[in-house]
Amino acid sequence: MAMSMSFLISVLSHLPIYITTIYSVIIYQKLQRELKIFSWLLVITGLIQFASLLLALRGINNLPLLHLYVPSGFILMALFYARVLNGFIDVRIIWITTLIFIIYTVINSLFFQGILTFNSNALTVESVLVIIFSISTYMLFLTDDIKESKKDILSSLNWINSGIFIYYLSNLLIYYFGNIITGPFSQQLNLYTWVFHSFFSVVMYFCFFVGLWNHPRT
Amino acid sequence: MESSQNLNFFELLYPLLVIVFIIAVGVVLLTQQFRKNIYLQKLKQEELKNVHQTEILRNSIEVQERERKRVALDLHDELGAALSITRMHLLQAEKLHGHLSATLLEDLKNITHLTEISLTSMRRISHELMPPQLETFGLVKTLESVAEQLRKTNKVWLEINVQPLMPELSWAINLAFYRIFMELINNTLKHSGASTISIDLKGNNKIINASYADNGAGMPGDVFGRGMGQKSIEGRVNSLGGSLLYGNSKQGGFYISLSIPFAN
Repeated sequence: MAMSMSFLISVLSHLPIYITTIYSVIIYQKLQRELKIFSWLLVITGLIQFASLLLALRGINNLPLLHLYVPSGFILMALFYARVLNGFIDVRIIWITTLIFIIYTVINSLFFQGILTFNSNALTVESVLVIIFSISTYMLFLTDDIKESKKDILSSLNWINSGIFIYYLSNLLIYYFGNIITGPFSQQLNLYTWVFHSFFSVVMYFCFFVGLWNHPRT
Repeated sequence: MESSQNLNFFELLYPLLVIVFIIAVGVVLLTQQFRKNIYLQKLKQEELKNVHQTEILRNSIEVQERERKRVALDLHDELGAALSITRMHLLQAEKLHGHLSATLLEDLKNITHLTEISLTSMRRISHELMPPQLETFGLVKTLESVAEQLRKTNKVWLEINVQPLMPELSWAINLAFYRIFMELINNTLKHSGASTISIDLKGNNKIINASYADNGAGMPGDVFGRGMGQKSIEGRVNSLGGSLLYGNSKQGGFYISLSIPFAN
């Protein structure tokens, strides 16, 4: 019973993803460059999540999609942060980090955590990097110059950045402790952990939706 | 058993600490870069602002000089011509009608005299507005002409030292130096009681250095940086991207040294 409930919650947690993705596609033409790049990320995520849900419903292992999603999602995330932070940092830092991360994920998928297993190593590293970008962006948004120069889009970016921060921080703890806590315990506890993950995913997409909703309309 | 639990706890905690440390270092490094870049951007903005202000100053001086030149030419060519013709008619009238009445002749002579005074004043004002020799003969010759006039008063001796093979200066620099030196000479004559003034000019294709010094009473402390003349000099130097240094010398007297980039 608990298992089916957890499964239902996991499935329902996909709804905000599709709603936000469809909304971003509808308003795409009206979005600023930063938010357009972000909507690419939403579209890619939406498609991969949809495919993974279909595979899960058919009882097929959908983990290879995660191995594809992690590097592609990170590239789009890097594009988004490179655009937001452009002019304030040397964006080559983001591109070099992305390149190293991609190499790392490929090596991890080939030699350490095969495509049919959960790639927690890559997800942990991705979470660490995204959290660094996210906190740094918060710090940047606190400066008066940014408040002035990005004032029309600041609210949107803040919501999106908050969603990313909340999700990846929780992800980091889940992936980090997930291996240790859930390993020796029951499958039920493992499922509860993924319910938490789904909850934070919903929170993140709620923030994304509000961020997109607040896009400058002039 | 307890030590084994402690070991597990630390095994669990240490990697997390490492992760938190990595995040903290990453954030600190990126934030440092932001701050540095924001500071550089602000510096660049200030620089642009300064360039813009200098441009405005330069434009306003250019407009002022153009207007001076126009007024000087109009005075000289139109009013001067009218006054000359008036004088000629008056002289003619003196010749033709002077014998009719002594009073008429006297009046005509008075009017002719007043016309001549007006003509002289007009010429002086016109020349002060825009000395014609500056455009024709350049800064050095114009200053030498000023020195010659000062020598005639037997009160002040103006010495001009110009470096041999001095590069040819642009009109803007010539005019700026002329206006500045005239302002300084005027101040010296009015306030300092100096008997000698020296002007030095030297330079190359990169920078032109000029200095002015007198042996007068020097500038009173409370006047430093406050006079309209000083502001005008500073404005002219700034508009050409130059710099200036002024004060009272140890021997007494006022000095000022100016540096203006040759590119102007």
